[in-house]
Amino acid sequence: MAAGTDALEGVRLVYRRFSAFHRFNHYLVMISFFGLVLTGIPLKFKDSLWAEFFMGLIGGVEGAGFIHRVMAVFNFTYFFLEMGYMSWYVAARKGPIFGPDSIVPSKKDWQDIKGMFRWFLGRGPKPRFNRFTYWEKFDFWALLAGTFLIGGTGLMMWFPEFTTSFLPGVSLNVALVLHSNEAFLATGVIFIFVHFFSAHGRPESFPADEVIFSGSLPLDHYIADRPAEYENRLRAGTLDQVVRPAPTGPMTRVNSWLMVVFSAVALFAATYTMLLVVWPLLF
Amino acid sequence: MKTVAGAAGGFAKEFTCLRRGAGFGILAFILLVLLTGEVAWAQESAQSAEGDNGCLVCHGQEYLGSVEVDGAAQDLFVGPEAYEESAHGLLPCASCHIGFTHDNPHQMVTNAEFFAETAREACRNCHADQFEMYQQSYHGELSRGGVAGGVLAPGCTDCHGMHQVQRVDTLEYRQDIQQICGQCHGGRTDTFLDTYHGKAITLGREASATCVDCHGSHFILPTTNPMSTLSEANHLDTCQTCHPDADEGFTSFLVHIQPTSTDAPLIVFAVAIFYISMIVVVFAFGGIHTLLYIYRGLKNGLYFGKGGHH
Ligand code: HEC
Ligand code: HEC
Ligand code: HEC
Ligand code: HEC
Ligand code: HEC
Ligand code: HEC
Ligand code: HEC
Ligand code: HEM
Repeated sequence: MAAGTDALEGVRLVYRRFSAFHRFNHYLVMISFFGLVLTGIPLKFKDSLWAEFFMGLIGGVEGAGFIHRVMAVFNFTYFFLEMGYMSWYVAARKGPIFGPDSIVPSKKDWQDIKGMFRWFLGRGPKPRFNRFTYWEKFDFWALLAGTFLIGGTGLMMWFPEFTTSFLPGVSLNVALVLHSNEAFLATGVIFIFVHFFSAHGRPESFPADEVIFSGSLPLDHYIADRPAEYENRLRAGTLDQVVRPAPTGPMTRVNSWLMVVFSAVALFAATYTMLLVVWPLLF
Repeated sequence: MKTVAGAAGGFAKEFTCLRRGAGFGILAFILLVLLTGEVAWAQESAQSAEGDNGCLVCHGQEYLGSVEVDGAAQDLFVGPEAYEESAHGLLPCASCHIGFTHDNPHQMVTNAEFFAETAREACRNCHADQFEMYQQSYHGELSRGGVAGGVLAPGCTDCHGMHQVQRVDTLEYRQDIQQICGQCHGGRTDTFLDTYHGKAITLGREASATCVDCHGSHFILPTTNPMSTLSEANHLDTCQTCHPDADEGFTSFLVHIQPTSTDAPLIVFAVAIFYISMIVVVFAFGGIHTLLYIYRGLKNGLYFGKGGHH
């Protein structure tokens, strides 16, 4: 599907969805998230037979702790970049904050949820999505809030002596419970239920959606997947802001390869987590 | 012996081309060599526990693993290798089994309880410091008073074993400690193992804390006792052995809490329950949504590029 072509007046056109900045930030998210999960989850599920094995692979508890901290710095980097971008977007009035193109939840999202369930059950047409679907919005805001909570509590545990110089020691108990559970929640959301499904598992993107690597997707795919945005733009005459000739050159190859590599890493990370989580439940 | 026979069988097959008589001759020879080798090895290991008075010639045999003494099955086997590798590998057996001699090893055994008592008490002869501290500890006090809550107080051998006494400065022993205390303090052990310290030591981080780094090993006292390593006065010092920059606030970190129990501080309990509910709701919704989406995708033939988008 990702390799689809559209011959509109002989030129292959694509819809440009993500800027270089957003793609760069997504790389930071992927790398740091994989790194943090790989080094954090074995500690949480220490009773699994696999925990010791994986810990050995990543340098023991000390080694894992070190990688966890390096990846945490990546994590803070993307968090602050995204916050900076959002502040700039709002302050410089780069675009509307609410409305159909926005990542901010709206009433239509609620209607879309109900519409999707009707469609699932064969009782109506598939809702016509705007630029961001409700699950994409959930993904985005959950990750942003999660990063804030998990990062904050992570820092507290990283520097426990400093934390307790102004907070009571029990705050570290809260930090551990919050960090550990939020990490598990985020891992489930990203790896299993929401994000990977959205990127790999749902029919529109199966077996993998290249858009976050290449930045753009074939026009026909776009029109089918985000019909409401397409029509809005058609009406408002803003289609030329997002439609352009397909990029050519070596970068397109590189992007495809990166997609394959990161999908493989993602598959590994999901398997790894499942082994750690499910194993102690069975044995 | 099984392995000896097995190896000989293997050799025997190779010689089937030889005349039968010669084959048997060679087989017998090999068996002889292997057997004498076995005997020589047994003698060597029996003697290597220097001056063990020859006890291992008998007690190093596995068939002593279950003998009947006064109508009850008993394990009288003492693994020679494990003994040798233990911290006491060089001690003669009689250093604890006082009175047992080579000439008449079991003249003492007229009274089994007396012999056992003697062996258990022997530790103090060489480890007087630990014994003194233990005597003054809560466990020591209990051991003189007998039983509390149906559990026996631990003596030296409950925490160290008898014939496989481990060196205490190894990672393995530091990891074992949690299980040792856990035999009698299961709840405390479970909660401890859910903290960072507990997870890290379980997964091999030697520098992390074990039960005895906080509670002490021999001079264990209830935390309400001012002399305890965890009394109000000493608590911070104990943490500071590993966290030199810690100050008073650090000590209110709770080592033994079960976040989902109502005994936990309200804020910890609330956060834990909030997250468990979130996890259940989000995973359930996500799971149903995902399954229905796949169902619809398959039904409409959307997966393999057939049907169009609707
Ligand atoms: C000739 C073989 C032999 C030798 C040598 C020997 N033992 Fe034993 N030992 C036995 C047998 C058989 C028993 C069990 C029968 C019994 O209680 O009389 C036993 C029992 C014991 C018991 C357990 C008694 C009980 O009732 O629980 C102890 C302790 C013991 N031996 C220590 C020693 C020590 C120490 C030495 C060396 C000084 C030694 N043995 C040498 C064969 C031997
Ligand atoms: C560090 C002290 C120590 C040394 C050294 C020692 N033992 Fe023991 N042994 C004990 C104690 C303690 C017991 C258990 C008494 C009881 O029943 O509580 C015991 C019990 C035994 C028993 C009775 C069966 C059992 O396992 O309960 C045998 C047999 C025995 N020892 C043989 C030996 C032999 C042989 C050696 C030398 C290789 C040896 N011991 C060295 C402390 C020692
Ligand atoms: C409640 C369990 C427990 C009991 C009971 C116990 N020990 Fe220990 N012992 C330990 C632990 C744990 C260590 C390791 C201490 C450490 O790592 O700081 C230890 C260490 C030792 C050491 C090594 C030196 C040292 O002090 O670190 C000796 C020797 C020792 N114990 C002897 C004894 C003797 C003798 C007795 C009986 C009087 C005894 N122990 C009772 C748990 C116990
Ligand atoms: C005859 C003297 C003697 C007797 C009796 C004895 N020990 Fe020992 N113990 C030693 C010696 C010697 C060492 C080795 C010390 C070393 O290597 O540093 C040792 C080591 C240990 C260690 C390991 C210490 C370490 O630093 O890791 C422990 C634990 C221990 N003994 C416990 C016991 C217990 C429990 C008993 C009673 C069942 C006992 N010992 C009886 C002499 C004795
Ligand atoms: C063989 C059983 C046994 C083992 C092993 C054991 N204990 Fe105990 N311990 C007891 C008993 C029984 C009490 C008294 C419980 C009571 O008073 O309610 C006790 C009391 C205590 C207390 C006093 C506080 C209280 O609960 O009243 C502490 C602290 C303690 N043990 C720590 C340890 C540590 C640390 C270890 C391991 C190094 C350990 N124990 C190993 C049986 C054991
Ligand atoms: C990091 C330090 C630390 C470690 C490690 C630790 N504890 Fe504790 N423990 C405490 C503190 C502090 C208390 C007192 C507060 C409480 O009751 O929770 C305590 C209380 C206890 C008590 C009750 C004592 C009393 O007087 O009421 C027992 C029993 C106990 N711990 C056993 C264990 C066991 C068993 C382990 C190892 C599996 C262990 N502890 C590991 C710090 C620690
Ligand atoms: C034997 C050494 C040792 C002792 C004693 C010890 N700790 Fe620790 N503790 C560690 C190590 C090692 C770490 C990991 C530090 C790191 O990775 O930066 C740690 C980490 C921690 C953390 C941060 C991880 C988390 O769970 O949030 C807290 C809080 C903590 N210790 C509390 C305590 C308290 C309170 C005490 C005293 C009751 C104590 N420790 C005693 C070794 C110890
Ligand atoms: C963003 C910054 C983060 C920081 C500063 C941080 C820091 C920490 C620290 C200090 C610990 C204690 C263990 C250790 O010292 O190694 C820890 C544990 C852990 N972290 Fe993180 N972390 C961060 C993000 C994450 C993320 C994004 C995840 C996964 C999604 C994660 C998963 C875990 C897990 C599962 C544990 C073990 C918790 C337990 O013991 O139950 N962390 N983290």
